[in-house]
Amino acid sequence: MLSSIEKVVFVIVALIALGVSFHGFWMIVFTVRQGRPAPELKNIPGSLLRAAWRVLLQQTIFRARPALSAVHLALFFGLITYAFVNLFDVLEGFVAGFDLTYGGRHMTAIFLPSGVVNAFNLISDLMSGALLVAIVVFLVRRFGVRDRRLQFREQVLLHPKVRAGAQHTDSLIVGVFVIMHVTAHLLTQAFRLTEGPDPFMPLASLLNAWLGPSEVGMHVAWWVSLGWVLFILAYIPPSKHTHFFLAPINLGLAKQTPRGQLDPAIPLKVIQGQTFEPGAKHIYDLAWTRLLDAYACVQCNRCQDVCPAHAYGRPLSPAALEVNKRYLLKDATFGGRLQVLQQPLTETAISPEAVWSCTTCYACVRVCPVGNEPMADIVDIRRRLIVDGAPLDSGVQSALQSLATNGNWMGKSKRLRGRWAKEMDFPIKNALEEPVEYLWFVGDTASFDERVIPNTKMTARVFYQAGLDFGILYQHESNAGNDVRRVGEEGLFEQLVERNLQVFGQAQFQRIVTTDPHSLNTLKNEYPQFGGAFEVKHYTAVLVKLFEEGRLKVKKPLDHYKVTFHDPCYLGRYNGGFAAPRRLLNLLGVEFHEMPRNCENSFCCGAGGGQIWMSKVAPGERPAENRIREALSTLEKFPNGKKQLFIVTCPKDMIMYSDAVKTTGSEGRIEVRDLIQLVAEAIGIEEAQVVAIAA
Amino acid sequence: MSKDILVVAEHFNGKIADVTFEMVGKARELAAGLGGKVVALVIGAGVEANDLASDATLQVNEPALTEFNPEAYARIVEAVVQEQAPRLVMFGWTSMGMDLAAWLSGRTGAPCAAYVRDLRLENGGLVISCQAYNGKLIAEVEPQGEMTIAACLAGSFPTEAGRGATAATSIPSPIALDSLRVRFVEAIQPPPGDVDITTQAKLVAVGRGIGGKENIELAEELAEKLGAVVAASRPVVDAGWLPRTRQVGKSGLKVKPKLYLMLGISGAPEHLEGMKDAELIIAINTDKKAPIFNVAHYGATADLFEVAEAMLELL
Amino acid sequence: MNIVVVLKHIPSVADELPVRGNQVDFDSVDFVLNEWDEQSLEQAALIKEALGGTVTAIGVDVIGELDNLLHLALAKGADRAVKIAADDAGADSHRQAKWLSEAIRPMAPDLVLVGVQASNDIDGQLGPLLAAYLDLPYIGVVSSIEVQDGTALMNKEFAGGFGARYSVRLPFVAGVQVAPKPPRYAPVSKIRQIAQTAKIEVLEPSGEADSGLVFRKVAPPVVSGHAEMIEGSPKEIAARLVALLKERGLA
Repeated sequence: MLSSIEKVVFVIVALIALGVSFHGFWMIVFTVRQGRPAPELKNIPGSLLRAAWRVLLQQTIFRARPALSAVHLALFFGLITYAFVNLFDVLEGFVAGFDLTYGGRHMTAIFLPSGVVNAFNLISDLMSGALLVAIVVFLVRRFGVRDRRLQFREQVLLHPKVRAGAQHTDSLIVGVFVIMHVTAHLLTQAFRLTEGPDPFMPLASLLNAWLGPSEVGMHVAWWVSLGWVLFILAYIPPSKHTHFFLAPINLGLAKQTPRGQLDPAIPLKVIQGQTFEPGAKHIYDLAWTRLLDAYACVQCNRCQDVCPAHAYGRPLSPAALEVNKRYLLKDATFGGRLQVLQQPLTETAISPEAVWSCTTCYACVRVCPVGNEPMADIVDIRRRLIVDGAPLDSGVQSALQSLATNGNWMGKSKRLRGRWAKEMDFPIKNALEEPVEYLWFVGDTASFDERVIPNTKMTARVFYQAGLDFGILYQHESNAGNDVRRVGEEGLFEQLVERNLQVFGQAQFQRIVTTDPHSLNTLKNEYPQFGGAFEVKHYTAVLVKLFEEGRLKVKKPLDHYKVTFHDPCYLGRYNGGFAAPRRLLNLLGVEFHEMPRNCENSFCCGAGGGQIWMSKVAPGERPAENRIREALSTLEKFPNGKKQLFIVTCPKDMIMYSDAVKTTGSEGRIEVRDLIQLVAEAIGIEEAQVVAIAA
Repeated sequence: MSKDILVVAEHFNGKIADVTFEMVGKARELAAGLGGKVVALVIGAGVEANDLASDATLQVNEPALTEFNPEAYARIVEAVVQEQAPRLVMFGWTSMGMDLAAWLSGRTGAPCAAYVRDLRLENGGLVISCQAYNGKLIAEVEPQGEMTIAACLAGSFPTEAGRGATAATSIPSPIALDSLRVRFVEAIQPPPGDVDITTQAKLVAVGRGIGGKENIELAEELAEKLGAVVAASRPVVDAGWLPRTRQVGKSGLKVKPKLYLMLGISGAPEHLEGMKDAELIIAINTDKKAPIFNVAHYGATADLFEVAEAMLELL
Repeated sequence: MNIVVVLKHIPSVADELPVRGNQVDFDSVDFVLNEWDEQSLEQAALIKEALGGTVTAIGVDVIGELDNLLHLALAKGADRAVKIAADDAGADSHRQAKWLSEAIRPMAPDLVLVGVQASNDIDGQLGPLLAAYLDLPYIGVVSSIEVQDGTALMNKEFAGGFGARYSVRLPFVAGVQVAPKPPRYAPVSKIRQIAQTAKIEVLEPSGEADSGLVFRKVAPPVVSGHAEMIEGSPKEIAARLVALLKERGLA
């Protein structure tokens, strides 16, 4: 079809475009390689294949925004189809006699069965339509209705170009590309149809009916269509649309360790002649996989949607962090401004206030369709801030100081840790003095907080009644360190781990049980890194087992309660403990309703990652208040006069939500209870009995 | 060695401080038992020192010493003690007395009791009660030797018994003042324009439990609704959350309001010293064992923020 | 500048203090750094940052665990750590000050910083005793120290926001009430690193002094009264309080 001159021109332009594109990608590879070593990735080909499969199924993207995800699906398959379409377009241009119209009737170059040709023609024709519809939906969403989820808040630190809207320009360029490219392709096909409509090319035929065949038109449209492709190839590397290629790769290289295991503060991999400071100050202090995150990110802001700190009005947007990282790297690699990399991340990518707002709930990482880990960056930044002696919130500082001296964050004497146990009317074993089956790791809040101690006692009573062989460590237990690590105090975390492991070594037990999901998380997922691998169970799982073995029996079903259940981040999202609490609620016979945000999609109470220690209380609707309102609207959809309960399975939740019920003025409408209180009631432990213990 | 008691007077702005009257009163009681005299020592010129109930008042009439100078005062007291050889030397456990008492002990080898809450005679010997360990323990000690130094907590004794009309006797400075290493430069006044909490009828006092500077606002709001002013305990002021002018306690101000509403103050002796005479004391604290509940008239074990917010709605 | 900072390891008052005989039962209490020593340590670090020099942290090791505090001091900016190995939990201020003075005198410090008081200073504070033994002037309740040309300009606090500014020719002993800045946080990784590498100089106690106080009895104070406690939810408490205040014409 093309003239010789056209062919030469196309080849030259194509080579230039490919050269530019290749150079761009090479620059990206170079840039990403500047990052620190990441934790070792196993079986990379396998995980890349798995990622490819998940991308093909669009699995990760359907975790949120189902309607928009469907549009993305159309766009994705449209563009996949177009990879072939473009290939055939080039063949049609370069190979005389290569002609797919009318089922390949005029094809002289090679033989293809007409059924195959017609099927391809139909798919590509319909996909062209789908692409156009999808891209128009996206453009309207961004520029027409201006979906607020694509915007950043005023207080969020943004790269100047992002503040000026560069990401929207990127989207516009690609939007225009898709429209022009697809339309031009359809026109090329339309101008080819010299023999009237082709039933397998309905859209092209429609255009043909309107415009008729045209040799000149065909050439022009072909050049427009393929020219855009060449332009886009060169344009992609510095734009956010590296996403097309790097998102699947990033997904294949995503975190392989358990969700509840943070990467070490200093890479484990030893590199000759290189020493690392803990955590991250500059962008190249981040692991290379997390530099790649910035290239995989298409800036959809789904992480921002689910971020409790963002919902609270804090200046944190995990999306903005990735976008800022991207623009910083772009400044350096494509803008020649290497000096920006010497500025601390807290000045260029995320404000210190945002860094200290994170609750480490993992929702951002979980929801990310491309496997990004903004939360891990935040923890790394905290780690360096601590080492560098940056100013700390006074509450955090005193919590850490108390943890270092007393082993608990409340400033309480060690010796008081087991006081609640001594107030029980039956003996509680000291696991250091006699062997026990279950070592109960009680945790700080359950040991010291007057508001939670009644539940701790209730748990002891239920265990006792079931004949569970358990013991505690009394004053020898130290805080497990989960939140210490997440606040960035890696040294103190290690110290606490060592103290606990030393004590564990002196105790005789078969497994650990805890009511505290935070302790559970680090004991289960992080202690093994320090040589302490134990079976760690949440009390809800132990209770299920006790019911199943008949050691606990429901004496009176609790059908007078209408309840909803909050999944604690560190039990649910981090450790998959969704089933046990629900099974218990089912066994107890309560009327149970799920909140819209449940299980993987549960909404953080706002206490994690050291937030509960902060002396500063920011204005705005706190995450726990937001959650209580969600619970109320869930339960009040079923008015039946039953007592409404908000069930928790985490000591911190007990505090956070009891407070939130008061601050939202919801007393009388809903009451916060630990699941253990329901269990106790159902198996016939009188409330009065426990109150007597508490007194 | 005599049986006399030397009270080292404290003065401020030309007036003898209350703690001095308290000590003189107590000293009279002890001196009666010992069969000795009470001698008050006032260092500095321009101090109105003729209203003590001491047997004698010595005044070092030196204008250069009207303002406290730790080095000069210490050396003068040392010289006077050497000359008079008293049985007991009393200081206030105050910013001034804290600079002198233990130093004198170190110099003379005489025992020193600090945080003194009470002194009494038993079989001719002194028994001193000290409020140690942040008020958690009371230590009863018997000082050995011929001379004893006691640094007394302000507010431990009534002032009335120390008031009298003994005319001061002027004495020259027993030490040379020209080779001092410590020099008074200037007085520091409280930041101007701030309210005087000692004259307020109602105070809302915040302690460490308030958590942070950001939360002071809540106390301010509550105070405003009550027509009160916000005061604080030492840690709050040390942390810079409120100015020094708002500090109640030994190292702060002594207040006697009609209402003293305490939010998150556990009640260290340092603080109690400044507010225990308030007419109505209400304390809100999360620790049900906080010592403040032994002093307050009404108490509640609760989250101060919740109570304060609930009160705001009701007022 | 050659600055010496004195640390005092004292029983924690965070908890009830058990008594045995006529003394605190030292075996069953936690020992902590005197809270004012954190202020003097911060003040020392600030002076060193402004003027250079060395900071020596020194203390009497009363229960054999002073190393932890010395490591903390090194992490917060001290250059040298010295402990007097006494292993005498009941060592009073007089004895400690005597030992400290013998250890500090050969160091010929320009400035000795001590926490203004400690909760167990029943026989007086370390600072003035040290000054007396070292024959140096003492000035306490200090809230800022700036040094220039061999002279320190410092603020001393009196009650109620009043205070005075003094100039003192070096050397002298100062009792720090509060540092101009809140004490910094020392990351544990740094402390642990120091713990592995730092050398702590160990001295034997030398010199003798006695408080001259014989303890007759140590006991919790007799509580004379107790507040009438208002029970209930925060809302109920608030309602009761507001009613109470209105009753008395206070609200």
